[in-house]
Amino acid sequence: MPIEGRDVLRRAITGQWKQSAGGAVLAASHQTGEALVPVVVGVVIDQAISGGDGRALVTWIAVLALVFAVLSSSYRFSARAAEKAAELAAHELRLALTGRVLEHRAGAETGRLPGELVSIATSDAKRVGAVNVALASGVAALAGLLAGGVALLMVSVPLGLLVLLGVPPLLALAHLLGRPLERRSGAEQERAARASGVAADLIAGLRVLKGIGAERAAVDRYRVTSRDALAATVRAAKAQAWHDGGMLILTGVFIAVVALVGGRLAAQGDISVGGLVAAVGLAQFLLTPLSILAWANGEFAQGRASAARIASVLSSPPAVAGGEGDLPADVRGGLALKGVSYGVLREVSVEVAPGELLGVVTTDPSAAIALLKVLGRAADPESGVVELDGVSLSSIEPGQVRRAIVVAEHDADLFEGTLLENVSAAAAAASAEPGTAVTAGPGWEVSAGSGSDVAALRAMATAGRAMAAAAADQVAAALPYGMDTPLTERGLSLSGGQRQRVALARALAAAPPVLVLHDPTTAVDAATEARIAKGIRTAREGRTTIMVVTSPALLAGADRVIFMDGDGRITHGTHAELVHDHETYRATVLT
Amino acid sequence: MTAKGNEHVTVKGGDEGVTAETNEHATATRRGPMTSEERELLPTATAAQTRAAVWRLARPHGLAALGGFAVLVVATGIGLLTAPVLGHIIDLVTRGRPAEAITEPVVWLVAIAVGYGVATAIGVSLVARLGEGMLATLRERFVDTALGLPLDQVERAGSGDLTARVTSDVAVITNAVRDALPALARSVLTIALTLVGMAVLDWRFLLVALLAVPIQAHTLRWYVRRAVPLYASQRVAVGVQQQLLLGTVGGAATVRAFRLADRHVSMVGTGSRAAVDLAVAGVRLVTRFYGRLNLAEWVGLSAVLVTGFLLVRGGGVTIGTAGAAALYFHSLFTPVNIALGLVDDAQAAAAGLARLVGVVDAAAAPAPPPASGSPAVDVRVSDVRYAYRSGHPVLRGVSLDIAAKEKVALVGASGAGKTTLAKLIAGIHAPDSGSITVDSGSVTVGGGDRKVALLTQEVHVFTGPLADDLRLAKPEADDEELVAALDLVGALAWARALPEGLETVVGESGHRLTAAQAQQLALARLVLADPPVVVLDEATAEAGSAGARALEASAAAAMEGRTALVVAHRLTQAASADRVVLLEEGRVAETGTHDELVRAGDRYAALWEAWSGHREG
Repeated sequence: MPIEGRDVLRRAITGQWKQSAGGAVLAASHQTGEALVPVVVGVVIDQAISGGDGRALVTWIAVLALVFAVLSSSYRFSARAAEKAAELAAHELRLALTGRVLEHRAGAETGRLPGELVSIATSDAKRVGAVNVALASGVAALAGLLAGGVALLMVSVPLGLLVLLGVPPLLALAHLLGRPLERRSGAEQERAARASGVAADLIAGLRVLKGIGAERAAVDRYRVTSRDALAATVRAAKAQAWHDGGMLILTGVFIAVVALVGGRLAAQGDISVGGLVAAVGLAQFLLTPLSILAWANGEFAQGRASAARIASVLSSPPAVAGGEGDLPADVRGGLALKGVSYGVLREVSVEVAPGELLGVVTTDPSAAIALLKVLGRAADPESGVVELDGVSLSSIEPGQVRRAIVVAEHDADLFEGTLLENVSAAAAAASAEPGTAVTAGPGWEVSAGSGSDVAALRAMATAGRAMAAAAADQVAAALPYGMDTPLTERGLSLSGGQRQRVALARALAAAPPVLVLHDPTTAVDAATEARIAKGIRTAREGRTTIMVVTSPALLAGADRVIFMDGDGRITHGTHAELVHDHETYRATVLT
Repeated sequence: MTAKGNEHVTVKGGDEGVTAETNEHATATRRGPMTSEERELLPTATAAQTRAAVWRLARPHGLAALGGFAVLVVATGIGLLTAPVLGHIIDLVTRGRPAEAITEPVVWLVAIAVGYGVATAIGVSLVARLGEGMLATLRERFVDTALGLPLDQVERAGSGDLTARVTSDVAVITNAVRDALPALARSVLTIALTLVGMAVLDWRFLLVALLAVPIQAHTLRWYVRRAVPLYASQRVAVGVQQQLLLGTVGGAATVRAFRLADRHVSMVGTGSRAAVDLAVAGVRLVTRFYGRLNLAEWVGLSAVLVTGFLLVRGGGVTIGTAGAAALYFHSLFTPVNIALGLVDDAQAAAAGLARLVGVVDAAAAPAPPPASGSPAVDVRVSDVRYAYRSGHPVLRGVSLDIAAKEKVALVGASGAGKTTLAKLIAGIHAPDSGSITVDSGSVTVGGGDRKVALLTQEVHVFTGPLADDLRLAKPEADDEELVAALDLVGALAWARALPEGLETVVGESGHRLTAAQAQQLALARLVLADPPVVVLDEATAEAGSAGARALEASAAAAMEGRTALVVAHRLTQAASADRVVLLEEGRVAETGTHDELVRAGDRYAALWEAWSGHREG
């Protein structure tokens, strides 16, 4: 059943119901306390100051202290409980979203940019969580209204009715006045915000600008944007100022009306002087809970919209459906594509023997991508089957598939953590699972050890060898803390060539029965690439490896090369044979 | 392997699809792996310099500033008349005056409300225009200076430093100018004038009202001491959380391929939890802060009431005055809370301002654009030595002459010094010894008369219409020139196919270009800038092998008719150059045409053989 926005919203509140309910009750007590302050001040004037009664003064100052103590501590604990509920609810949504995005069956990223997903996991999760605060504030505002209303009615029924019935239309009027202004100011604020966006963009492209000497042009352009933004901001600020000024007039006039009616009632002796003071104070006070209610309403609306966005991510359909089976008991690493059609691939049939080091060259880059997708079960073929040791991949659970087949994509990301952590993470993940005899060539077993310490040590050793094979040891040597240098910004602190070598080392360290490498050395210099070609050969000895590349250095080291030309024709041979015999191959690989 | 010269450390800002809002936090963690002792952060202004800079910014608006402030004072003064008029009504009632007598002061109340509202609107508008104008001037000067800083200096500081200043510091100051400062100014004015009002009612009311001040002052000190570091660590934690999410979500395909989902969910969980804990700690602090201010409110209000009691009993003041004093003090609650709550915002803004002013004061105007029109220009490098860190030489005496319009390919293993030599020729660093001359004039770092353009593998697509991006290189270019440049580098087909052609908004918040398209765009900019000398540093490396070939063709077209130095990974680029120079450990090891070097059968020949995979034996 698909998850809907209201389910997300409900869970955000019920998941934290203790904090949320506690926050609401205490917030109600706080608002009631705030309502009582002007009432008590009125009483002090009536009972103590008017009559000169010292004992009453002491009593009521003590009552005032009590009111303050209650409202202060209620506020303190209600704010804490509500914020905690909000933060925890957002936290749980964040984790649920992360989990959904990373699910083996994928599908959550379809049609969404990473930035968008991150913004859903941060801003939207926060908004939904904040509904807990809005709920507490809303309940509190209702309580404050009730308390203030009762107090006013006790002072005087007509005055109470005037205030209680007068405040809602007043706020409605203010809202009506404010709406067009706010809309306009919102749009203009957005334009204004662009100025800082453009500045950040130019600074981010600083090297590019300097490279072609475009600084002057950039500065001139920024000045235009900045002045444009300034004009918009000033207009927005002016609109906002007049809106606020209008609100001051409205409330001022309202207080005047209350003073008029209250003053006449007091002059006629219907209410006391203290009652008048309390009424004026309460009229002022009641504006607060009402505007809180309006605010809470807005928060709920935003929360609903955010919850809908979160729900749509959580319930996005998987990229690969079906297939719950396990891997074959002992993966030997034989692969077969039988009449596979997917994307630009048409009826492709290829056999890969266990332990083979195969090169695959395609003239069309999108054919390479399509091939990678079906091999890693990131997608199922439209027709035909991909078999691992005779078992169709579509019948195996995707997570299980990736235990046997690792597809290392050309643009694979590195992650936060040290260089070593990046390289050994996959190896550690593979060895941490008990009972998985992922067998392979000599010296490279990463079978489950008896203790996790042994497993960790093995992973470390594996990582070291993989780094050497991928020439990533040179990368480590060039960094200030070697293997322990933290990588930031997804490895963007490294150059392209460094990043590729670290990513390759990670793939080799994972040591899966079948490894698919996609253009792993495009940013690496020729000498290092030759070393890497040898390294891959040694590291993958005895295990199936498919290199989807056009690099002659790597292809020369392959046992066999498969060439797919633009028409979907497939030619086999060694690199040397193909270079010698095949015109298109030569053109694709050597020029 | 030598220091960091071989692989330049790139720190790209804001190209991961972060929203402006999140950028602010993300920059907190935007630091390369360099250690702090290697960094020379950009300068920060002292308090005196900052004040002087603000004064310089404000001076042209002196009259407006004075006028705006005066109107706000008047507005606040008018607003404060409400309480005494209400007090007057109370007095009328206690003196037993008829109900009709109430009408006149009520009319006053209405007039006060209108005057207060109008004057406030005018005052706030004036102050906003002043503040926004100053802010705009400041950010323009900042961008102006920042773009003029020598790259050398920016790289030593890490471009994260500059990015952080232009995003988070500008954002903090903008918020302060837009929200905090007007609120602070109005609150402080209200407080000051209210206190004056109380003194006018009776000086003793003012005296006892001030009893709240020591509590408030103490609370404020207590709060700021804790709030500043707490919020700083909160920003860092949110930044970390953001980076973790971005890394995990952006790399989701990789996470799945290597089955790292559990690890990443728990990493995100830890990061998120840390941010949650700090947020909750922040709320605790704020609630304790306001709790203490509640105490001050009670003390002050009680004191005013007791004083009213005593004064009324002694016949010093009327009940109405006592009531007005109580109302005055009650109305102080909100502005006091606002003003004190904004102090830490103001502090953050001051710190940000110091960081902006520091850069602006270090001023160096951007150099003029390089000469264009590609006349014949040669490059001579003689016995150049360079080290990023002393004792770790990267270039150990390189001599190299490039004839006018000659195309030279620079090859060699990682760490040989290729990129460093390219940067020196482009004038980004100055050689430690030896000389580099372009067109018989020596190259100076960040110098004026530049003839060399540098294109690296770092691509950046500027947000905005594609045509605007191109016009950065040549502002006066007409559409035909743009089309011609795109056509030359083979980018016209995809550019025309964009949803709105050349007017399509590209970059961060627009249509996303592939790495190869972005690189072609960079080459098209190069064509428009039309420099006599170009240095291409692995400008075709990021595209993957299939795209690289197309890019090489684009690059060759863009270099046509210019003196060119190409740092090449793919040896086909070397093969098509006029001459190949092989660098080894900071020295020129071989030089000659591709065929000569292959025939010589030495280092380059070995490289070529490795690269081409035993082609022709």
